[in-house]
Amino acid sequence: MRIYHISDQALTIAFSEVISETANQQVLQLHHRLQAAPFMGFIESAPAYSSLTVYFSAQTNKEEVTTQLNTLLSEFTEDETLETGEMRKHIVPVCYAGAYGADLQAVASATGLSIQEIIEIHTGMTFRVYMIGFVPGFAYMGILPPELEMPRRESPRLEVPGGSVAIAGRQTGIYPAVIPGGWHIIGRTPWRLFDKNAQPCSRLSAGDLVQFEAITTEAFEQLS
Amino acid sequence: MSITIVKSGIQCSIQDLGRWGYQQYGVPVGGVMDRESAITANRLCGNTDGEAVLECTLHGTIITCDETITFALTGGGARATVNGCGVDYNKLIRMVAGSQLKLHPDPQGCRTYIAISGGLQVTNELGSASTYLPSGIGGIAGKNPEAGQQIPLKDAGRMQEWGRDIVIREDGFGVGNWKAQVEPWPHVNETVLIACESGPEWAWFDADSQLRFFEASFIIANHANRMGYRLEGTFLQLKEKRELLSTAVTAGIVQVTNEGHPIILMADAQTIGGYPRIARLTSKAISILAQCRPGVKARFSMNGFLS
Repeated sequence: MRIYHISDQALTIAFSEVISETANQQVLQLHHRLQAAPFMGFIESAPAYSSLTVYFSAQTNKEEVTTQLNTLLSEFTEDETLETGEMRKHIVPVCYAGAYGADLQAVASATGLSIQEIIEIHTGMTFRVYMIGFVPGFAYMGILPPELEMPRRESPRLEVPGGSVAIAGRQTGIYPAVIPGGWHIIGRTPWRLFDKNAQPCSRLSAGDLVQFEAITTEAFEQLS
Repeated sequence: MSITIVKSGIQCSIQDLGRWGYQQYGVPVGGVMDRESAITANRLCGNTDGEAVLECTLHGTIITCDETITFALTGGGARATVNGCGVDYNKLIRMVAGSQLKLHPDPQGCRTYIAISGGLQVTNELGSASTYLPSGIGGIAGKNPEAGQQIPLKDAGRMQEWGRDIVIREDGFGVGNWKAQVEPWPHVNETVLIACESGPEWAWFDADSQLRFFEASFIIANHANRMGYRLEGTFLQLKEKRELLSTAVTAGIVQVTNEGHPIILMADAQTIGGYPRIARLTSKAISILAQCRPGVKARFSMNGFLS
């Protein structure tokens, strides 16, 4: 474990330097504990793959923050590490057909899988939301099996349509809005992933479970 | 009672001290680029530190009002006139209905903050008035005010009371006697020293790059905006090719792209990044950098680096 500052008002606790479900569970456990019992001066905490960053007010004594965090961390036991709490599971409808899965053919050529096999793998497993970031509401999910592992596109698209479901490396994600992006688009969901007026503003949260469900073009249009 | 943005200028944006509490959903903190100046402007006006202000980049902004208002200008990047007469920054100013405040070109600084006594009547979104353009959050329905935009003012009582002792001249405005003491902002031709501390991946960089990080003179590239400043001058390299697992970044982080250019993340920085972080700026240095425009030369200073 590594604890370091990223600003005068922020400390990062890195449980691991690689993607690991165990490390992400520890990240979320600390995140939830801080929300439930914040220390004096605590502002917010934000989970990443294997690290949690804790933001506190400028007036807070930094040594005190470190002490508080170390106390919380020392209470972690092996058993608690595996504690999952209440995990929300979402069934996310995805249309893989036609233009919605713009890169499916390219992924099929690169991996040697058929389009049908790619869809079966993608809908056949439950993904974990590791973190939300990059843009508001963008969920980083994993872990894809090695046979679907793809490097990013050589030239990123300047505009990826909102709702696009994409893969890169061992990750899968959903673009919440029209933005540039370098992941391979394999489908599109009618779900709105980010809404500033909703509570919470992001449909998905770190720690949630996601399973994708293939829908037809007609169903997609109806749900949109 | 309201002000009207007659001309927005290069960029005129509504900002406060940021949108805290939503980074877990990927929402950047945002807020004013130069915290120190924004706070000074609000304090001059008798407002709380977190009241929404106008952040005007360089010059061109013209503002008028439909009733007497009391306001303050801080920061830099422009010189100001009211009804054609020069007015000082860092002082309280009172102008009558129909007066015109205008920002003109100036070689010092980069961002002017306009606080109005009583505050702007704007809707908070996700707990803040700060405008975050990429996602259309805050400000005026997610956008910056355009020419002709009216912005209502909040506290009529406060506005009448604060700065009442200021004598209004014949030409429709008056300036308070006392001035907030601030340090001068970097001039276009100056080399700015940026105080920083080591970043989490400092040790990933080769010895030569670590040395050049402090010795090189960088230039702030044209793509300097609210998200970040790209610096050009020397290429920084890692000891060996390594990938950083995506993790938190925040304003003041100096990350190095694959091309070797340092990028200093500013107020609208995204919440997660994947480039190695060579250094991080002190809070004070972030405010100073916010007052530097493209073309300004900068050097990183070891000040505070060994702590």
